[in-house]
This record gives sequence, C-alpha cells and structure tokens, in this order.
Amino acid sequence: MPVDVDNYSTVSGDTCGSSSGNQNPPPKFTIKKKRSLPGMPDPDAEVIALSPKTLMATNRFVCEICNKGFQRDQNLQLHRRGHNLPWKLRQRSSKEVMKRVYVCPEPTCVHHDPTRALGDLTGIKKHFCRKHGEKKWKCDKCSKKYAVQSDWKAHSKICGTREYKCDCGTLFSRRDSFITHRAFCDALADESGKAQTDPSSEPDPKVLVVESSPSPALQPAPPPVSAPAPVEVQVSAPALPQSTSAMTSVMPIQSSELAVDPNSIVEEAPAPAQAGLNGSCSSGVSSVSNGSSCSSSVFASLFASSTASASLTPPQPRAFTDLIRAMGPPECPADLAPSTSIEPISLCLSTSHGSSIFGNAGQERQQYVPPPQPAMSATALLQKAAQMGAAASNASLLRGLGVVSSSSSAQQENLQWGKRQVEPNNASVAAGLGLGLPCDRSSVLKELMMGTPVFGPKQTTLDFLGLGVAASGSPNGGLSALFTSIGGGLDVDAAAALFGGGDFKDVIRRS
Amino acid sequence: MFQDESSPLSSSSSPLQVFSMMSLSPNLGSPYPWLRELKSEERGLYLIHLLLTCANHVANGSLENANIALEQISQLASPDGDTMQRMAAYFTEALADRILKAWPGLHKALNSTRIALVSEEILVRKLFFEMFPFLKVAFVLTNQAVIEAMEGEKMVHIIDLNAAEPAQWVALIQALSARPEGQPHLRITGVHQRKEVLDQMAHRLTEEAEKLDLPFQFNPVVGKLENLDVEKLRVKTGEALAISSVLQLHSFLASDDEHHRKKSPLGSKNLNGVHLQRALQMNQSTLGELLEKDTVNGCSPSPDSASSSPLSSTGSVKIDGFLNALWGLSPKLMVVTEQDSNHNGSTLMERLLESLYSFAALFDCSESTAARTSLERFKVEKMLFGEEIKNIIACEGTERKERHEKLEKWIQRLNLAGFGNIPLSYYGMLHARRLLQGYNCDGYKMKEENGCVVICWQDRPLFSVSAWRCRK
Repeated sequence: MPVDVDNYSTVSGDTCGSSSGNQNPPPKFTIKKKRSLPGMPDPDAEVIALSPKTLMATNRFVCEICNKGFQRDQNLQLHRRGHNLPWKLRQRSSKEVMKRVYVCPEPTCVHHDPTRALGDLTGIKKHFCRKHGEKKWKCDKCSKKYAVQSDWKAHSKICGTREYKCDCGTLFSRRDSFITHRAFCDALADESGKAQTDPSSEPDPKVLVVESSPSPALQPAPPPVSAPAPVEVQVSAPALPQSTSAMTSVMPIQSSELAVDPNSIVEEAPAPAQAGLNGSCSSGVSSVSNGSSCSSSVFASLFASSTASASLTPPQPRAFTDLIRAMGPPECPADLAPSTSIEPISLCLSTSHGSSIFGNAGQERQQYVPPPQPAMSATALLQKAAQMGAAASNASLLRGLGVVSSSSSAQQENLQWGKRQVEPNNASVAAGLGLGLPCDRSSVLKELMMGTPVFGPKQTTLDFLGLGVAASGSPNGGLSALFTSIGGGLDVDAAAALFGGGDFKDVIRRS
Repeated sequence: MFQDESSPLSSSSSPLQVFSMMSLSPNLGSPYPWLRELKSEERGLYLIHLLLTCANHVANGSLENANIALEQISQLASPDGDTMQRMAAYFTEALADRILKAWPGLHKALNSTRIALVSEEILVRKLFFEMFPFLKVAFVLTNQAVIEAMEGEKMVHIIDLNAAEPAQWVALIQALSARPEGQPHLRITGVHQRKEVLDQMAHRLTEEAEKLDLPFQFNPVVGKLENLDVEKLRVKTGEALAISSVLQLHSFLASDDEHHRKKSPLGSKNLNGVHLQRALQMNQSTLGELLEKDTVNGCSPSPDSASSSPLSSTGSVKIDGFLNALWGLSPKLMVVTEQDSNHNGSTLMERLLESLYSFAALFDCSESTAARTSLERFKVEKMLFGEEIKNIIACEGTERKERHEKLEKWIQRLNLAGFGNIPLSYYGMLHARRLLQGYNCDGYKMKEENGCVVICWQDRPLFSVSAWRCRK
C-alpha cells in the first residue's frame, strides 16, 4: 500500500505515526501526537492532518482488497465482510481504538495548529467547507448561501417559517434575537407595556452617573455596564436595530452618535471606532463619559477632509438619523400650531378640540411616554396669544364674556409703555381680557380699575368692543396689543401711584 | 354680577363660562381649583397673559399687582410641565428676582448660600452641546472655515475665546492632519475661566494630536475674557491666526446703561420715562410691526431700541475695545457665533417680549429633544436657559451680560471694527445641514443670509455664525 507519508514532525519530534489504511493516492500526513489545549478531551490523541483533497474526498474509506471507496467506515466494514477475510486480517489495526483529532489544512486557519485540532472528522470537514470553501448552496427563499449542504438544508427548513417581525420592519427567525432587537428598536408603536425587555420609557435618573467630573470625558471608557440587560429604552437604540444586523464599520460612527443622545446619557454604546461594539451593541450601555470622545469622533467623521473618506459621509446622516430618532417625535408639536390657531379663537376649547390636538401629535413615536396632554408648542401659543390680542374677530366672544371695560382712564401714553398707541383703553383692555380667560382677575381688576365700576360701562364696552378692537387698529400686532390692553388698566394704578408719589416706589432702588 | 353680564356661550360646558361663573372672590390666597381644569393650550395662553401682566406690573413698579400675578402664575407654572409651563416658571423666577433686587439686602441674603457648582456648570454646558445641534453646527462651520482659510499655511494658530468643548478642535486636528498638503504646525490657545476645563482640553487635544502625529501645542489662558490681555495670547509673527468666538462677544455689550439709573430699578421709570417715552414713541410703530412680523414668521428685524441702536453709545466701548484688540492681532480669520435675537432692549418689556419668543423656540426644541422627565433636560433648562432668562430680565447694567443682539448689529459692529465678511463655504454648510438632518427633528432649519448662517427653530432664528477677515 503506497502510503505517502510526508512526515513532518512537529514540536515533539517523535517519529511519525502511521497513516490510516487508505489506499487511495490522496496522501495523508500524520503528525506526532501533540498535547492539545484544555478542552480537547484526549491529549494523547493522534493528530491527523489531511490535505484538502483528502478532506473533501467523499469516499475516504477504501477497501484494501478491492479499492472500493466508501463514505462511511461502517459501510466499508460491511463490505469487507463480503470478502471473507481470514480472521487475522479481519481485525482492523489497533489504531482504530486511538482517538484521532484533525487539523484544518488551511494554514491561515486557527485550527491548523495541532493544539487546536478538532476531534471529529466530520466536524473538520464541515469547518473547512464553511470557512474556506466556496458557498455552493443557496437558499431559494432568501439569499443566504452555504458551503455545507447540511447547513443549507437546516436553513431552508426554517427559512420563512417562523418569523418575528419588529415594527421597524426587520424580520427575525430567532426569538432571542428578535427580543433583543425589539428592546432597542425605537419604533415602539405601543407604550411601555410592550416588550418584556422594554423597561422604562422614562429616562432614568441614573443620568447622574454622568457626574460632573470632566475627566471621564477624556477616556473612551469601555462600557462598564455593558453586560447587564439591554434595558434602557432611552438608548438611542434606533441605531441598534440596523446595526445589530450589520455590524460593519459604520458601527463606530453610529455608536458615537449614540453617545450624543441625551436621553441615554447613562447608557450608550461606547466608543469611537472600535470594533468592540459588537458586544456592546446589543446592550448598548456605557457611561456618558464617552460623550465627548464620541462626539469628537462624530466630528471626525464629519470633518473628513475633502479629499478623503467620502465614504464616511453616507453613514453619518443615517447614524444621526438613527440616533436622533430617539430624541423625539419626527413631527414637532409646533406643527399643530397652524391648525389650532386658525380655529375660532373662542377659548371654549371643547374637549373635541383638545382631542384633535391629541390626534395630531405624532407623539407615539417617541421613546418616552408622551405627555398626557400633548401641548402646543410655546411658539405656537405665543403666536396664538398675539393673534388673540389683536383679535378682531371675537368681539362677540368678548361680549359674551362680559368683559369688563377698563377704567375710563384716558391715559394712553403710559409712560412706561410708550410703545402702545391705543387710544381707547377700554377696548384694549377688553381685547386683552378677551383672551377669554376671565379667571379670577377680579381682584386685579379691582385694583386696577381704581374704583371704576367694574360692570358699569358694559354698554360702552360693547360698543367699544365692537369698534374698539378694530379701532385700536394700530399696526400693533399680537402681544403688543396685549400689552396695551393690560397696560391700559394698569395705567390707572401706575399713574396714580406715580403722581401720588407712592412711597414704596421711592424706597425701591435697584441694587 | 359678572355672571349677569356674561351671555351664555355656545356650549354650556365651555370652560369660559365656567370661569365666568366662578365667583370673583378676591381671596388671593385661595387655590384656584378650576385652574387645574385648564387644558394645556388654554393654560398656556393664560400663562402668557399672566406673564405679560406681571411683567407690566413689575415694570411699573406696582408690586402688589405683580405679586398677585406671580401667585397666579405659580399655580400653573411648573418646571416639569409642558413648554409653556416651564417657560413661565423660569420667567416668573426672573421677574421675582428682578423685584427682589429692589431690596438688595434681601436679595443678597436669599442668595447667600448659593454656591456655583463648577462641575454642574461644566456638565450643563456639555449637555447643551450634546442635546442640541447649535454648537455642533457652529463648530462644523467654524472648522470648515478654518480649514479653508488655512490652506497652504504651515503654522496655524487658533485662539478659542471659550475653550470648553474639545470636540471642536479634535475634529479640526483630524481634518488638518489629513489634509492633502500635509500637516501644519498647530497651536491652539484656549481662554477660559476655569483651569480644570483648560487642563482637560489640553489633555484631550494633545492626546489626539499625538495619535495623529501632528505637531501641536496647547496654550491655556486662565481668566475672564473681559479681562483678557491680548499679549497673553502670544501671537507670533509668521503664523496664520484664526479666532473662534462662540457666544462670547455679547457680554462685552454690558455696561452701565444710562437709561437705567439707580433710582428706577424696575425698568422704565419716571426719570428716564421721559426719554424713553420720546424714544419709544418714535419706535412704536416699528415695535408694533416688529411684533406683527413676529407673529407671522417669527423673524424680527431688530427694533431700533433706543439704547443699542447707536453703536457708538456707551454700551459699545468695551466691545469696540475688544474688537480692536482682536483686529490688532491681524487674524486671518475670525468666526463669530452669537445668539441671533434681540435681548438687549432697553426696557424690560422689550426684552421680555423678545425673549419670550426666543426661549419659546428653545423650549420647544428642548421638548422635542428630551422627555419631560429627563433630568438632563431639566438641568439644561434650569441652569442654562433659566439663568439666561434671569439675566436678561432681572439684571441691569453691567450685571446684565446676556446682551444678545441680532446678526445685523454684529455685522455692523464688526464692519466698524475693521473686519470684512467672508462668506461661509458651501461645503461647510453642506456638512452642517447634514448634521441638522441627522437630528431628524423637523424643527431645525438653517438659513443663509449674506454669507452668514442662521440656525433657526421653525422660523425663529436662534444662532448665527459668520466669518470675518481682517480688513486693512
């Protein structure tokens, strides 16, 4: 039996062991037994190094009598029985008893080292195929390719069978990865009650971990807390779903974006540009101290010079997008402003109107629990107030409110006010009051009106109201008219005090 | 009797009618239960109304009325609530502070145990940097301008008038070391009040430079900017100088304004009232127009308020001096980032109005950025926005440092000081826009005006960035 044994001794330097009983030309190279790493069951096992050809050979087991090849040893034995071998030859060589371990023929592979040999021939074959082989098997449902047929079969069985779909559209066949993803996915349609791993929708006061010490910002600290649960929703997780599936170099940027997320100040995937993100991605936790270093890397990517790294730029917007999606609703409440301000300014905002505000708020996309009343933005409120101050359209409303006329003071030039040029105070006050919140201002009014019968001049009020607002007609928009109105009544008091030399004013001194 | 007058409104359950039904009881101390019934919009509007009323009272010196208004506001305002509630909370605090300043002893006593926690201040500024894109955009634009101005320069010296955030320069270091013509020799001089901040910055930057093998030197200058001696900046001949000023220049406008004397603490008073009246009467229409425009698109041309319009008024001595000193250094580039709002009106009400709009935008920003329960957001709002509001509203004279002005004013000033505008590069703006888009929040907008960039929230300009060169 031609046994080409290229013996190359390894560290031990012993004589080489024999090869197996293969008759086939594909040579086998046996190496002396080596002690293997812990985890290898048998340090005395014989290490067998097969050439790729041998490894891939389908018929490894060859009958020595007729040179017929078999895929399995058992089949070979069965076949040999048929040869009616004399008893002596029937036994296989004793070396069958010896444990064999196999090394990968690919020199660059870690399993090429005898100390890292694999114990199973089938295993080493599959390993070689998977890692160093060409992927010949393709799943027909999805586009995954496999080098080992059994892998391919196993996959196609489950491909498309059980699918978990996250609200962001990502599909998972495995429950655990689905759950992990969902914990970080920002597209939580429902509120916090959703996933079990989706804990607080509120940011934790853990934020204080941030601390004041500026120094932490210096070190891109490895995620101290990364191991524990990927709990914090506040993690700018939006970056994660996409990234967990594709841990590419984009990750560093994304994670650095994560650092920017204010909500997740405590827990953010750390640092810039290290590949160590993979693990931390799913947990995505680190201390804020990474903030500065992370943001610096953000800038770094941003500032790729014009000649370089145009490739860096594409990920950024996405990264920012992913990140910042966590920061708030895509649609800002201010959008509500136009619609609501156009509404009849009657402040009898019935609940229906209120609910329309609710309806408009795209708050559900927020990570944090949307406030129970999605409020109008302050800007919108100011605009509305301004409009109402100058409102001419709600005379009837004002009437209805029984808005009190102002004092009869005709002091238009409020020395303090200068800017107002409204003549009929009454109207202006009315207009101001016509904000329609005739809440308990009576006391104020009383003081203001200085004894002017509060309800007396209602008639005039009406008239003024009818005209007044319009008459006040200065280009005073909005809030200035409001001022006017407020000031109108105040004039009385102020003026009186001024001239009366209210002593407390003299006392008042600026510091 | 109020009830008699009120004609029934459309729906019997209208809150307004409820209001009018309520007795006009003058017991100020009693809680107003119906206040809690207010929906947020109504509450917001009411808060605005109350704020204006209160400010009016404060401006007039009618403290009792102011007190009433404050009481009412306090029922509704809350730093944890919606944007308007938060704003109201900080504005009333500022107004109250203003009133209190009339009794200096009392004011000092109440603040006697207040320690400024440096660490918190630093943290808050970092939070602001991270939560909002404004500073980032400014940095992007600044850096790009620096890169372009320093093309071909071998020795680059950068002066940062407020060296607090290393991220900006880290990015610049990276960009400069990657530039095609080779690395320059880079020197950064940072000015800051706190040594720790500068130390940290030095550490971070030298670390970065070493990583990239860029010849680098960081010179810290500890001290207040207003006391800065430009000699300390050690500008050498032969090096290309760039100055970066982020939100620093406006404090130089603080001065002992003539308009506000000691005797009239609460704003426009009798003494200066006359001046004011005349001045303001001139400006009535403009202010009105201003406000109208405000309501329309939130952009306000700067109302020529009496104090700040003549650039050569007393208020500008300091700033002119400083700008001249900077000009004397012959910088190749100076990038100025400032708030783009007019918070430097001479009267309280002017400033209140303007700041209501500006801070409404900022608080809306904040609302879109973080949850209401977010502690960071609260800190930023309280320690940054709140303090600014307090300064704008409650302080006068040299104490009032937050003298934000509109971009046009700054352009005028810088032109007068001998600087010529350099349009910001398209590439830089592209970067900045991408950054803003990355925030994925529809509110942020960027406008270009005459080569300068204005960052807005919805339509309200908030910050402006402009680049300048030394005009000989």
